[in-house]
Amino acid sequence: MAQVARGDHQAFEGVYGQLAGPVYGVVRQVLRDPAQSEEVAQEVLLEVWRSASRFDPARGSGVAWVLTMAHRRAVDRVRSENAGSRREQKVASEAVTEYDDVADTVETSLEGQRARRCLDSLTDLQGESIKLAYYGGYSYPEVAQLLGVALGTVKTRIRDGLIRMRDCMGVMA
Amino acid sequence: MHVLTGSYALDALDAQERTEFERHLQHCPSCQAEVRGLRETAARLAIARSARPPAQMEQRVLAATYRTRQLPPLAGQRLRRDLRQTRLARLARLFAGWLAVGQPRLDSSQPRRSDRRSDRRSDRRSDRRSDRGNGWSNSWLRSPRLVGAVAAASVAAAVGLGITQVATQHQLDSAHATSAAIAKVLDAPDARIETTSSTVGGAVTVVVSALQREAVVTASGMPSLSSSRVYQVWVMSSSGARSVGLLSSTDRIGQLLASGVQSGDRIGITVEPSGGTSRPTTTPVATVPLTT
Repeated sequence: MAQVARGDHQAFEGVYGQLAGPVYGVVRQVLRDPAQSEEVAQEVLLEVWRSASRFDPARGSGVAWVLTMAHRRAVDRVRSENAGSRREQKVASEAVTEYDDVADTVETSLEGQRARRCLDSLTDLQGESIKLAYYGGYSYPEVAQLLGVALGTVKTRIRDGLIRMRDCMGVMA
Repeated sequence: MHVLTGSYALDALDAQERTEFERHLQHCPSCQAEVRGLRETAARLAIARSARPPAQMEQRVLAATYRTRQLPPLAGQRLRRDLRQTRLARLARLFAGWLAVGQPRLDSSQPRRSDRRSDRRSDRRSDRRSDRGNGWSNSWLRSPRLVGAVAAASVAAAVGLGITQVATQHQLDSAHATSAAIAKVLDAPDARIETTSSTVGGAVTVVVSALQREAVVTASGMPSLSSSRVYQVWVMSSSGARSVGLLSSTDRIGQLLASGVQSGDRIGITVEPSGGTSRPTTTPVATVPLTT
């Protein structure tokens, strides 16, 4: 990332090669619409180039920095578009089953496979809360409504589930 | 407030709560640490959904970088271009190059010290060549004694290349930036590298300089331990073991400097109760002999 910050186009190509897939994948997971997803993914990747000098390794890995940015942009896009709509009324089961529909998800990376296994190891409520929040782009009150459980329960399940995933994957923090 | 770390890491707070939580975060170091780990975890959720971007996207983004001015670093932020400090990082990439080529051109002649300076000047270019895996002009790597170590390390590096390589690169960069003493060892003319995989996963790399009698110990990809356990690094010799220090569990890469080492010593890593102990109490998960 330091090389990218110094204007090294070749270093950026390396970053692109490694992160374009996850960036595009997560954005499309949240937004669904391919054209819109491409637009947001491009914005995010260009932002990586633009603000590489602001990346602070003390605050986490470069991968997390980029993917946090990608997810947040996608979520912000959804929320601004859905402001006022009745999105939260979507039935939970519908929303959950859709996650596996996205076509040509590439499942080549070991890390991705491991994340899936760890996600499957969570309790149903933990797993569904995390999927709805992260892949669905729902806020936790929306998740609570979709799952028909109390707000506090969702907050706790999301945190417990993520901690369990973190330990399952051996992420150090 | 603390229970919101998870929802925050998943961007599941609304704008107002997000702002409030970020305010809280500034005064809550334990929340910061937790958010950091949960964000890394959320990133793995994204990786699990990796998808092939439209073919023309790469061209568009790369073209746009040539039209886009980059932001300057924020005041007070360090962004140094110090080649010495990225030596290990470059090595990591060289390993990747090795894997890509299969049979890299390795000159088995003795290292040519006189070349080192000019090599350093052309570092940037040779970096690029090795990134593509078609050039091994760095005389530092020509030493036949390094060949075995590099080969072993490349096997270790074969696991989890790809995404993790980016993390490793920048983590090494940041780790190096913290200590000039470490940089000095990495840049020593007689620096040698030894890598071994740990029995619990991950790898331990030791760069040792006989001239400086110092060794830099880098652990990467080791599994996290429960909060009551730590990895402790030792210099082990015939006269016993002395502690070098504890590997920070806040990074997937931990790095320590061992001083006063000599040929025949071994670097060992054990799992100990948090806080560390005065002598090893468990079987090392990794030992690296120092053959200076």
